[in-house]
Amino acid sequence: MRKIIIIWLLFAAFGGKAQEKEHLNLFTDRDCYTTGETILFNVIVPEKEHSGILEVILFNTSGKIITKVNKLVTDHHAAGYLYLPDSLKTGTYLIGTTNGVNPNTTVKEIFATNRFTGLSETTAFLKAKEIFPLAKKPINTLQIDGINAVYHVREHVQAQLRLSPELLAQIIGPLFVTVSEVNPGYNSQLFLMNTGNGRNSPEGNDGIILEGMARDLMTGVPLNNGCIILSIPDSIPTLDYFMTGEDGRFRFQIRNHFGKVPVVVQGYDILKKQLIKINLFHSDSLVRATPAFGATQIPAEMQKGIEKGIEATTLSKIFNRQELNIDNPLTNKRQDYPFYGAPTETIHPNLFIDLPNFTEITRELMIGVKFRAYNRIPTLQMMNPVTRNYFNDQPLVTLDGIPVRDLNVIKSMGSKEIRKIDIVRKERYYGDLGFSGVVGIYSVKPDYKGLAESDDLIKLDLETIQPEVSLVAPQSQKSNDPDLRKVLYWAPAIKPGESVNLDFLTSDILGTFKLTLGGKTTDGTIIGFEQTFEVK
Amino acid sequence: MTQRILYIATLIGLFATFSLNAQETQPNEKNAEKIRGSRFIPYPNYPGSSFLNSKFLLGEIEFTDGSKVSRVGINYGTYRDELIYYNTTISTQIVIDKSSLKGFSFTDKNGDKRIFRRQFFNGYFHDDCFFEVLSDGKISLLAYRKVSLEACDTYNSKSGMAFTPAYSYYLYESGKGYIPVNCSRNSLLSKFSKPNIKLIKKTLRKNGVFISDETSFVNAWNLIAELNVEPVFN
Repeated sequence: MRKIIIIWLLFAAFGGKAQEKEHLNLFTDRDCYTTGETILFNVIVPEKEHSGILEVILFNTSGKIITKVNKLVTDHHAAGYLYLPDSLKTGTYLIGTTNGVNPNTTVKEIFATNRFTGLSETTAFLKAKEIFPLAKKPINTLQIDGINAVYHVREHVQAQLRLSPELLAQIIGPLFVTVSEVNPGYNSQLFLMNTGNGRNSPEGNDGIILEGMARDLMTGVPLNNGCIILSIPDSIPTLDYFMTGEDGRFRFQIRNHFGKVPVVVQGYDILKKQLIKINLFHSDSLVRATPAFGATQIPAEMQKGIEKGIEATTLSKIFNRQELNIDNPLTNKRQDYPFYGAPTETIHPNLFIDLPNFTEITRELMIGVKFRAYNRIPTLQMMNPVTRNYFNDQPLVTLDGIPVRDLNVIKSMGSKEIRKIDIVRKERYYGDLGFSGVVGIYSVKPDYKGLAESDDLIKLDLETIQPEVSLVAPQSQKSNDPDLRKVLYWAPAIKPGESVNLDFLTSDILGTFKLTLGGKTTDGTIIGFEQTFEVK
Repeated sequence: MTQRILYIATLIGLFATFSLNAQETQPNEKNAEKIRGSRFIPYPNYPGSSFLNSKFLLGEIEFTDGSKVSRVGINYGTYRDELIYYNTTISTQIVIDKSSLKGFSFTDKNGDKRIFRRQFFNGYFHDDCFFEVLSDGKISLLAYRKVSLEACDTYNSKSGMAFTPAYSYYLYESGKGYIPVNCSRNSLLSKFSKPNIKLIKKTLRKNGVFISDETSFVNAWNLIAELNVEPVFN
């Protein structure tokens, strides 16, 4: 009996130990920011968790989410940026990262000052209490050549980091190096916050998840057999659908889309018996998981740094200097034609005489397509070239790739509003959905205003995967424009080698700068190296 | 007592394992990979077979984006060189968009795995075709299982037309192209340079391979492939 208890205890002890290291690690370029700036972040994902998508959230100390981005994890690593809006009040904010697999969110404190109001709103910063702080192990066997204690403004710095073979053998994955300004009076904390949202499966989590529920509009009962359609209008539109089960829930995984994209979610009952209402699940609060905070007076040294930072940011905004290069990747689509198939023919109405409405367009330009709007109920029919008769069902009509069920939306569209019309004169299938021909209308101004939001149609701008970014290199050492970079060097993923070369230029900002190198060892320990220098 | 506790612990462990498995997200068949295609238009009714198999066989489809759908009823339409799948939910035969496919495979009634690959053919017709991979390697041996509708003797078909196999075989190397080859010893040998022909003849003789049908032709090619001799690409 005693033996069994001991074995159980041993298992429990080892299990606990193992869990400690199995969290995401978050690093930012700095700890103190001014609104209007961007936060550069770096996330290292545990080795056992599959690469996928992770979320980086900016929220306040009350748990209210301000902004969030999604990043694609490559080689257990992700790097990106968060924009600090000018609407933020001066104070402490938190940046959290989670991948939906791990129930813990890794959180880092930052201090942001509103560049218009400065420190007039607060004289204290907040520090989280009763937390489990995460620490990194300092590297002692790293040698650095070429970094002086003092530099002048706009001085060329060339340095070399030398990693010992023992250290190299321990490192797994890429290293990151940052050289940025530091505010000496402020040290932020990194800690874990149990948000309990480990609901995604580790495999197959390579897209942005959009979840929701469909209910009967009258009774509120979850809708079984509802067809929920997700459309992303584009030159080659994307469409996905989900057939709800008894619980009425639906879930989409959006892959291969980058940046902010317009999304339309609509649903209908397949049996056409019920009117439906769809809701999307979204969380804009982390209140329950956010820890308590204690206030600390802002030291004079930090105040000075903040005031200097505000000046630099304001000047930088005046000169409109671009900080980041955004690399929009080319998406690999399954095929270069829309979901409804390669068009049998494409009509460009602007090449013909001006036609006032869609009825006239079908009459004059679209052979075998009949659009009539008698008694305010428009109908559309398409000729089946195989049977040489009209299809029994109405063809699929899309407006900029969004399926349109109410034809009143298109009836007033004339030649001036339509850029092109794709016609597919075939019985097309997309999964289990069948279309008796397709009429794909592409408008001149794709603003989807004609599609009104309703209980069964939701329009939203979805933040999908953030593209990769890189720091813009300074124009020239002798440029007349002020160089107000607070981050001098940012390399989020460097392949570890015996030596790492750093090459950067100091800016016009005076003060203390810190070189930070970080990485992960084979046992999951986060290692770090820091060295400061002055720019005078 | 100890024994009892051990039993209970084991049972708890088993229950935990099962409950964990149950929590994993079950693939919802209705929301599986969405296959794109058009309704299959039946082929004209003439003697001969216009399909590779007499019935739909369970197989695997691979798309160009790397996604796969397995255990789906497929049949290869040899007349129009198209892949047809049977959608059980809507009871419809659908021709899958060729451009969305990378290839497909199935196990035939003899238990042999048949692999087909979509490749661009730049021969007398410039188009994407489904080639059966008879032997894969640096140089692959491919078969194009085309069936043609041809005029025939009215003794065989009242309408005077029948589906006739017009299979063609190719040696293919990526970047170099295709070499058409017939299913015969002479044709195969003619694709090599003179010094290599002697070596190939010797190898075939030693291994007792006599090319009389497709199987022996593939066996012969597999032996040649081991010799590391390359055919002459024009």
